[in-house]
Amino acid sequence: MGRLANKHILITGGNSGIGLAAAQAFDREGARVAVKLEHVTRTYRRDAFEVRALDDVSLTIPTQGFVAIMGPSGSGKTTLLNLVAGIDHATSGSVVVGEAEITTMNERELAAWRARHIGLVFQFYNLIPVLTAFENVELPLLLTHLSKAERKTHVESALKAVGLADRMEHYPRQLSGGQEQRVAIARAIVTDPTILVADEPTGDLDATSAEEILLLLTQLNRQFHKTIVMVTHDPRSERFVDTVYRLDKGVFIGSEQGGMSATPRVSLQPPA
Amino acid sequence: MTKFTRLMFKNLLRSRRRTVLTVLSIAVSLFIFAVLVSLPTFANQMLADTASSVRIISRTKMGFGYPLPEAYKLKIATIPHVVAVAPLVIYGGIYHEASDQFPSVATEAKEIDMWSDWGLTGVDEFKKIKTACLVAQGTMRRFNLHVGQHIELRGTVYPFNVTLTIVGTIAKGPVPSFLIFRRDYFEEAAGKPGMVHEFWVRVDDSRVVPEVAAAIDHQFANSPAETRSASEAAAIGSILGRYRIFMKLAEFLGLVAVVAIGLVAANTAAMSIRERRSEIAVMRAIGFPSGVILRLLVGESLIVAVSGGAIGCGVAFGLFKVFALNADALGPFVSLHVPPYVLAETLGVAALIGVLSAYVPARAAAKRSIVETLRLVD
Repeated sequence: MGRLANKHILITGGNSGIGLAAAQAFDREGARVAVKLEHVTRTYRRDAFEVRALDDVSLTIPTQGFVAIMGPSGSGKTTLLNLVAGIDHATSGSVVVGEAEITTMNERELAAWRARHIGLVFQFYNLIPVLTAFENVELPLLLTHLSKAERKTHVESALKAVGLADRMEHYPRQLSGGQEQRVAIARAIVTDPTILVADEPTGDLDATSAEEILLLLTQLNRQFHKTIVMVTHDPRSERFVDTVYRLDKGVFIGSEQGGMSATPRVSLQPPA
Repeated sequence: MTKFTRLMFKNLLRSRRRTVLTVLSIAVSLFIFAVLVSLPTFANQMLADTASSVRIISRTKMGFGYPLPEAYKLKIATIPHVVAVAPLVIYGGIYHEASDQFPSVATEAKEIDMWSDWGLTGVDEFKKIKTACLVAQGTMRRFNLHVGQHIELRGTVYPFNVTLTIVGTIAKGPVPSFLIFRRDYFEEAAGKPGMVHEFWVRVDDSRVVPEVAAAIDHQFANSPAETRSASEAAAIGSILGRYRIFMKLAEFLGLVAVVAIGLVAANTAAMSIRERRSEIAVMRAIGFPSGVILRLLVGESLIVAVSGGAIGCGVAFGLFKVFALNADALGPFVSLHVPPYVLAETLGVAALIGVLSAYVPARAAAKRSIVETLRLVD
């Protein structure tokens, strides 16, 4: 986690106080690649049967892009997301995230890589019920060398960014579903990851809360230039993303522009 | 690991009742373990503490409590290396009630120095006053006796009572509760039967103990009252030896208790980890290495087990302290205590229970596929 300690991340840019360590000017024409999959296949064995969850998928996701992966159930969306997040291994092919070829990493290297580069958001929030919102967000920082005071600063900034500065001492059971998902997003961004990976982040929320979460993700993408890869069934999501990638039966069948593709990004404010 | 300690305690407190019950069950079993393992230790310690390496005890071959002629004293005294010979008569007797019994023996006043290593006080008065007696400190405490007090022991084996004056105390001995009075007083009250139950013999060098013991037995071989002589430790050990099988059984039962509670703890740990498998998978997904997860889970189990062990040890230690202070009547058992090394051993066993009970389920949880676990739970 030397990256966090060394890069003086945070906390001055944007309205919320969260900034980016390596904020680079966004250039839509020459956008760099955040994720590159080449001929990726993932098969599972279920009893005597072999299930091909992904079949020779090749695609790229640009840096600072907000991408939705959509498709019917069983199309391989979550498998693709798991491979990008480094919590699953491709059977064959290459997965490059940032500058790292993660298919060649062992478990230990992957864990360290995930801690540095990936922010994960799950459908069911997956907060630790015995920890407060503050402690849940602090969890990934326990793996760093940050001091207690530094961790506190980071956690407070992350919770402020998701609009829960006044809910720090609340336990998950004391929060609504939307608030729990906001805490989960704060936990995902607190380490200033390279990519935010969200698996059905609105899947367990009512329409209003879902909209709020999508707006929050858009804000993180537009204001703080987070690359976001989101798996979703929710057709409303298309309005909030740059690109929609469609999968069917494990095959990448193409991409289309989302509703935000023409919306300009907000530049970072200079440090206060 | 310090920053993870809070996390471990938070997890332990998620099911307070289960944690408390697990701690208590481990405490009870390790209390039993500590007590049972202390029994043989006590016996060995008692021998080590009290048995002089230069003393021999000669009894009749018939066994404990059968009489020998007092004339044997002079013959024993002539055997090379023998420094002193003290004849001992077992009186028995009751202080007040039948339950107020403790060993009481009579010996010759001039030979009382035979036991100078027992921390005797009032030896000079003992030699001067015919009715004098020395009382073990345990007995003094039990009956609230004091030096200068007159006490009467009622005969049970012998048809006469003895009225004694306490002139001093005995700090330590083979048993913590007993009394020594003068044999000339016993002889006078008993009508001079010239009876002795044991001869305690002191030699000038510990290396000659076996040789002198053999010489004594040889001296009285083929006589109407043959002797069986042994070092003091061996003599006391032969009495304790009758209980060795029970002590072995106690040790075995202690181990059974540990194994039983180890299985209970393993089941509890497995349940606890199973309930949290999705949380564990999430922690791994956000970057917690398997090793850290393993250490966290085993650490939780270790905290529970060592807490239980500490409580068990504390109760065992404290209970026997109180027991020893208030129950001197129980003879050798009153000095039973949990030795420091047994406390350390018990805490070690507790730690072992903690580590072993959680290791297998924790390792499985730390290695299980993140994707499979999340899919299973979602």
